[in-house]
Amino acid sequence: MQPGIRSGGPIQSGDPFGFPRTPSSLVDRAFGSIVLATLVLLGAAAPAAAQDVNAGKAVYERKCMLCHGEKGDGKGPAAELLLPKPRDFTRGLFKIRSTANKTPTDQDLLRIVSDGMPGTSMPAWEVLPEKDRRNVVAYVKSFAPDTFKEAPKKLELPKEVASSEASIKRGKEMFEAIECHKCHGTEGRADGPSRPELKDEWGHPVAPANLTRRWNFRGGRSRTEIATRIANGVLGTPMPAFLDAVEKPEDIWHLTNYIVSLGPDSPQPATLVTVAAVKDAIPDDPAADFWKKVAPNNILLEGQVIVDPRNFNPAIDLVSVRAVYNDREIAFHLTWDDPDETKGDGKSTFPDALSLQFAPQQPTGTERPYFLMGDANDGVYLLRWEQGKGVSEVTAHGPTKLTPMQGGEAAGKAVFKNGQYTLVMKRPLTAAGAERPSFQPRVFTPIAFQAWEGGAGDTGPKMSLTSWYYLRLEEPQSNRRFFIPPVAALLTFAVLGMLVRAARSRAVQ
Amino acid sequence: MRKVFVALTATTLVGSAVMFAIGPRLAGAQGGGTVEVEVKYNGAPVVEKLKVNKDTEKCGTETTIEKVVVGSNKGLAYAVVSAPNAKGAKPIKAVVDQHGCKFVPHVSVMTPGEMELKNSDDILHNIHTYSTANAAINKAQPKFKKTMTEKFDKPEVIKLTCDVHSWMLGWLAVVPGVAAVSDTNGVAKLENVPAGKQKIEVWHETLGKQDKEVDVKAGQTTKVSFEMKGK
Repeated sequence: MQPGIRSGGPIQSGDPFGFPRTPSSLVDRAFGSIVLATLVLLGAAAPAAAQDVNAGKAVYERKCMLCHGEKGDGKGPAAELLLPKPRDFTRGLFKIRSTANKTPTDQDLLRIVSDGMPGTSMPAWEVLPEKDRRNVVAYVKSFAPDTFKEAPKKLELPKEVASSEASIKRGKEMFEAIECHKCHGTEGRADGPSRPELKDEWGHPVAPANLTRRWNFRGGRSRTEIATRIANGVLGTPMPAFLDAVEKPEDIWHLTNYIVSLGPDSPQPATLVTVAAVKDAIPDDPAADFWKKVAPNNILLEGQVIVDPRNFNPAIDLVSVRAVYNDREIAFHLTWDDPDETKGDGKSTFPDALSLQFAPQQPTGTERPYFLMGDANDGVYLLRWEQGKGVSEVTAHGPTKLTPMQGGEAAGKAVFKNGQYTLVMKRPLTAAGAERPSFQPRVFTPIAFQAWEGGAGDTGPKMSLTSWYYLRLEEPQSNRRFFIPPVAALLTFAVLGMLVRAARSRAVQ
Repeated sequence: MRKVFVALTATTLVGSAVMFAIGPRLAGAQGGGTVEVEVKYNGAPVVEKLKVNKDTEKCGTETTIEKVVVGSNKGLAYAVVSAPNAKGAKPIKAVVDQHGCKFVPHVSVMTPGEMELKNSDDILHNIHTYSTANAAINKAQPKFKKTMTEKFDKPEVIKLTCDVHSWMLGWLAVVPGVAAVSDTNGVAKLENVPAGKQKIEVWHETLGKQDKEVDVKAGQTTKVSFEMKGK
């Protein structure tokens, strides 16, 4: 802290830019004051607490250095494992900013530190005291003093347009006219033709945002944040600024409204997989209208990080399950996003795959096989689909010990369209033998999920997966529910009537 | 009638003032000489061919990345030749077109100021510069935005890329003095270079930089030759 500034500056908060106390700090102080003055002029919230570069350094070295590196160059020991790569602060290029120039405000940086970057390895550091976070912002800025020589300039967004059917329609037109699909895909699932070649300014591969997954937007999911990203671009990445590249300024908001219309605000994860009872035949075709009437259960997947090779950057993080059964079969309709349909070259890419995991027999107690595809003693039963091979039944004793099962009647069909797989897998409700589970209504049956994005190099243990979930078959639908309550009501009335009559006749006597 | 007279007088006065202000500079430039620079390269050309799998109706199905283009007599094309310290040079405004999913011309020169970016492809391009002295830009240029004006004030050689079409590569040299790009014979002419000792610089995207001092004589053509070395 610099008492001189604290007492003399316009704001009693110490040196808000926390430059190190070097002989040149007079220059820095002067420049700091200019930046501060501009901030105040802009009406940006001036930091409430003092920022101390040295204190920030201490926090940085404890919490940030492993990924972002001692020199702030993004080359920490963990960087190798991460995708997207940790930010190199020395270039002074910050992805998320609310400013018209390349200098972010302190608030922009603080927000990323506090809230993290969804969909990346950057966690939310809200757990740290605000003072520590502000200090770390000051320290991060000291890695790129040149960038912060220029004061942040507020971005003026065009006048906001509320969402409406007309606005969304216009947004879609603009989306097509400015060719957002080149990277983000026709339906926004990050499967555009330019996707495989995209690199950031450091030459690292970078994926376009999946616009149907707002909760993974790096810079936040609010409408203003989305409009700002469209207008500003994302610095250091291929995402360009569109502020001057739309037909009319308000198109920025029409685009925003369209993007918001592409998907839900949150993944709404399920805690239980409910299997609906149906009377009709179950269609094999994943595109059949039948499936639209079945409620989805959204299951969140994580990267497998227990055994090598680990998957620190899972490409598949959500599988949507619709499950039904009738008196003969049980069927699973699965939907998940994947930017490319991959059969694999066997070297860097592998076949896309998905499996549903069950205990071979309904467990009697709480004991279940090891969730990571079983172990040597207790195997698991997998209902598995693989690109190019189709649906099969497999016994697994660990993620690398898969044995195809003989016989069986599992079947299914997968369709890939616009960056999304839909798959139907089905098999008989009851199975013979000790290796295959049978399904019974009202019983909580353990289920787990595994998925492989072969295009991203997923194969074997490198996968996305879940721990055990439960699956429950709904009561079979019967007419009893229409029949029993009225009968019960009738009987009650009859008894009441008899009582009343008995009472009256007694009263008359 | 009177109004016209006043207007004429005003115009004349302003005109004279302007002439007075810039006259000596023009005269100085006219008093310069021409430097004919020949850039040679003894190595093999490096031209990579690439299959194109998107926008093929505009970009074609194959494209070339011209890293080293060698013409007749071992002349090296696309070298930026300049006299960076030449004062009073005529401003050069660069016009770079995005045509056939290539930057045309592949290498351009400009004096500090504004330049024009065209998109004659009728598809989306994004102009992504790797500039350091000037602010880096990454702006979308959709099909309906036929031209954009950008400002580059500080001297440097700027790499131009397009993320939509990852093979697109261009160079824009911002040079304060007199500059030109060598043709397929490896020749570039620098006109109106002030007489006296001048530093002549050659820059090539893969073969690097060289410079030589040349004595420029007013009204004459001075020839100078560079031999670029492979890296």
